[in-house]
Amino acid sequence: MANLIASATHIAGRNKRYVVWFYLMNLLLALIGSVAFSANAHGILDHSLYADQLLHGFNLGAFIELLARPEFGPLSTSAIPAAMLAFVFFFLTMVFLPGVFLGYASDHRISRDEFYRTCGHNVWRFVRIFFFFLLIAGPTAAILFGIQKGLLKLADTSTYEKAYFYTHVACMIVIFIILTAIRAWFDLAESDVVVSDRSAVRKSIASGFRTTRRNGGRLLGSYVVIGVVAGITLFVGLALWEMIVPPGSVLGAFIVSQAILLLLLASRFWQRAAAVSLYLQQQAEVPLLEATPVRAPVTEVPVAPQVSGT
Amino acid sequence: MIPKLPVRGTALWRSLIALSVVISCWPAQLMAEEIHATPLSIPNTVSAINSSVPMSQRVVAYNIDAKYDPKTHSLDADEVLTYHNLAGQPLDTFPFHLYLNGFQPKATWIRETKREGTRDVNFEKWDSKDYGADDIKRFEVVGQGDLTSQLQFIQPDDGNKDDKSVVQVHLAHPVPPDGYVQFRIKFHDQFPETLERTGWKRDFLLAGQWFPKVGVWWHGAWNCHQFHGSTEFFADFGVYDVKVTVPQNEVFGASGIEVSSVNNGDGTKTVAYHGDDIHDFAWTISPRYKILNDTFQGSMGPVALKIMMQPGHWDQAERHARILKETLDRFERWYGPYPYKTLTMVDPEPGSAAEGMEYPTFITGGTNWWVPNGLREPELVVEHEFGHQYWYGMVATNEFEDAWMDEGINSYSEVKVLDSIFGQKGSVLDQWGITMGEHDIQRNEYISVADLDPMARNGWQYANYNSYGGITYGKTAMVLVTLEGVIGPDTMQKAMHTYFMRYRFTHPTKEDFLKTIEEVSGKDLRWYFNQAVYGTQILDFDVMKADSWPSDWYKENFKEKKGETEYDTEVLVRRKGEFIFPVDIDVKFDNGEKVREHWDGQDRWVRYMYHKKAKVESVEFDPDHKIFIDRNNFNNSYTAEANMAPARKLTNYWTFINQFFAQFLSWWMV
Repeated sequence: MANLIASATHIAGRNKRYVVWFYLMNLLLALIGSVAFSANAHGILDHSLYADQLLHGFNLGAFIELLARPEFGPLSTSAIPAAMLAFVFFFLTMVFLPGVFLGYASDHRISRDEFYRTCGHNVWRFVRIFFFFLLIAGPTAAILFGIQKGLLKLADTSTYEKAYFYTHVACMIVIFIILTAIRAWFDLAESDVVVSDRSAVRKSIASGFRTTRRNGGRLLGSYVVIGVVAGITLFVGLALWEMIVPPGSVLGAFIVSQAILLLLLASRFWQRAAAVSLYLQQQAEVPLLEATPVRAPVTEVPVAPQVSGT
Repeated sequence: MIPKLPVRGTALWRSLIALSVVISCWPAQLMAEEIHATPLSIPNTVSAINSSVPMSQRVVAYNIDAKYDPKTHSLDADEVLTYHNLAGQPLDTFPFHLYLNGFQPKATWIRETKREGTRDVNFEKWDSKDYGADDIKRFEVVGQGDLTSQLQFIQPDDGNKDDKSVVQVHLAHPVPPDGYVQFRIKFHDQFPETLERTGWKRDFLLAGQWFPKVGVWWHGAWNCHQFHGSTEFFADFGVYDVKVTVPQNEVFGASGIEVSSVNNGDGTKTVAYHGDDIHDFAWTISPRYKILNDTFQGSMGPVALKIMMQPGHWDQAERHARILKETLDRFERWYGPYPYKTLTMVDPEPGSAAEGMEYPTFITGGTNWWVPNGLREPELVVEHEFGHQYWYGMVATNEFEDAWMDEGINSYSEVKVLDSIFGQKGSVLDQWGITMGEHDIQRNEYISVADLDPMARNGWQYANYNSYGGITYGKTAMVLVTLEGVIGPDTMQKAMHTYFMRYRFTHPTKEDFLKTIEEVSGKDLRWYFNQAVYGTQILDFDVMKADSWPSDWYKENFKEKKGETEYDTEVLVRRKGEFIFPVDIDVKFDNGEKVREHWDGQDRWVRYMYHKKAKVESVEFDPDHKIFIDRNNFNNSYTAEANMAPARKLTNYWTFINQFFAQFLSWWMV
């Protein structure tokens, strides 16, 4: 697992530009999605002394009052465009990921032309993989969350108050691991589709499944470790934001918040790099066939009658 | 149709009628003699209070002996109620609350709750565990016999014939003025899984509103309302002696003081409690309570604090004790003495709907195992429920008709107490850089429903549950905090003290309260009360315009020079709402000069003009921040130059959330 994480780090480190581009795309779309919110907020706050309650410190009461103002509009007017642009980001990620997989699988820096060609070539395949993913992950998640609901109901009957909480946490960990395993499987399938240029995605999915099954510990371990690193990054980042950024520093808050998001995004690319690395290792391995001695055909040689002395 | 008497034999008929009258009166005379033979009275006990004499005019004495069955969550009890007729007239009709009957599918409480929702439940689906009942098995009036068959359910508020939360009995022989009557009632309770802060959850029980309780004779009539989705209670002061038999392993807590606890030897114990000068009685059991005993040295004597915590919250026991003592200290100093010898604080079963409720000398808190110190939810709940010992417990207003007088006045006290302990800015929340004061909570509750209902309205007649909450709690608190700005904080405190001392152990009306404030402040405040208490007017000040321009703007080659150029300044402000309120306005100029204007607020708008060697910098209504009922704080000020930092900060938060959501989606999906 350590080797896999190390090689994934190497691959991801060699291709940092992808993270940067995806991050900029993420930021740009979010900024566009925030236009309505921003306009509403500026309209109410820019000339109000009461707005200071939100600048120097964060008065939750003032924020609730702001959201309740009719001139701010319903929160949905800000949330709907933001949510739609989140889906746009998801779609663009699907479109541009094939190029990333190719870049990760190549030992050289692929050209822009290669990148886009790969993206265009594989986009429909990735859409199909996504639907297969939904077919597998959707029911799995539904079953897991159903089980969780049942267990929580049971835990709620316990007189031990924390039983509910611990059950919840335990269930979430199990759900996280299982869904991560499925995600890793489909990341392998995506690697296979791009690198093998296989148009039958079901074969890539089957191949991904076999690889996942054979290397379950290594791959899942790497994904979980990277996922935990991402979680810690988020937690520490938010704590630093609260501790080191003065409440009135808009620029400071922007820098810290964006650093957190950049690192989170990088974590996901690190996972993909792990999938590609494992895939390449699998491809590089030549199947070892045990040499078995070939038996010469046994032919009955008639024994010549011995002729004794002349 | 009345039968016609025969003409012949009239004398005989007269004799028969006379005889029948004598016969019919005979048992009554006998009964009167019987009543006379065993004179009834309300005990003058004082063992539960730090006073040598009773503190209330005692109307009732309840003596209840109950046995609880934890398997069926039900109990059977015998109640003996002695009633002292202080109505000043004979009483021949007595209504009784049977609150637990409110938890039946067609009852008014459930109907209203289904329609409007309440704090705890929504009734998407009826669950048999929600069923509650208070069945009277036998109803006897001493000296008048068994009247069980004559009990009649009445529905004085909504005429819902399926509602059985009030039952009435008519006595053949009226109780004379200053006379006594004794009711002997055998009843069976079925508790619901906690609803409206009463009932069971797992192996926990909180028994509130659990026994047949007589209504209040008030202002010449019986006041005994049905149980409604949003309303609370109203009852007379008296003495309570309650015995409850429960399993031996249960930890028991109740209103009043513990008198005895006897092991019955059959796996049960009988616990006896006594209460003086209280108007309700609640009790609780759970095998898992952990008890913290503490004492508060009150001005009338020591108060034993019994803090019954869930084991998982034991690390918060001190926190609960601290807020209780701090609150007691302030209430004693500000309003008057706490006369009871005990106060029991119950941390109810997690997930139960028994949190945050008040009964005399007995309150329930509300916390979670994970609550950080900066989130002062436990303090808020405990402070609020303790406050009800004054505003409900002692000043026993009619919670059905004047909910704002207990919940609202108490919310005002809550604002004052929490601010004085934790500071105004973060009295409820001060964690991770996020703050919220009790003012903010109450104000936001109010402004969300500001013009929907007046404060002075029957509790069950609000537009909806949100309005009930927003007006009775939030608006009242903000109206009183604002009133403090009108008459001064010291005068307000004096008025509250006078009100408490004058009306404790009585049932004051809204006018009693308002007139006390006028009397103490020496001011005619009708202009304020008519709008704030009886009206639904909105207060909303707005700065329409604040602009400066050079006085010599028309001259050619004119150049501005700071400190030398003269400017004309126009400030135009208005009153958007209908609420008329005098207000101060600060106008600041960019040379540091400040002008304070006072506007009577009568007209819709007012214009102020200035001619100075400075430009206007900002205009602000209510610069001392004394007004808390303005619906929109954002338009109360205007700065000539825009400060975009606050909006940018919030936009940054919003962008962060958007980006995070987008990444989360992509993390899992592709």
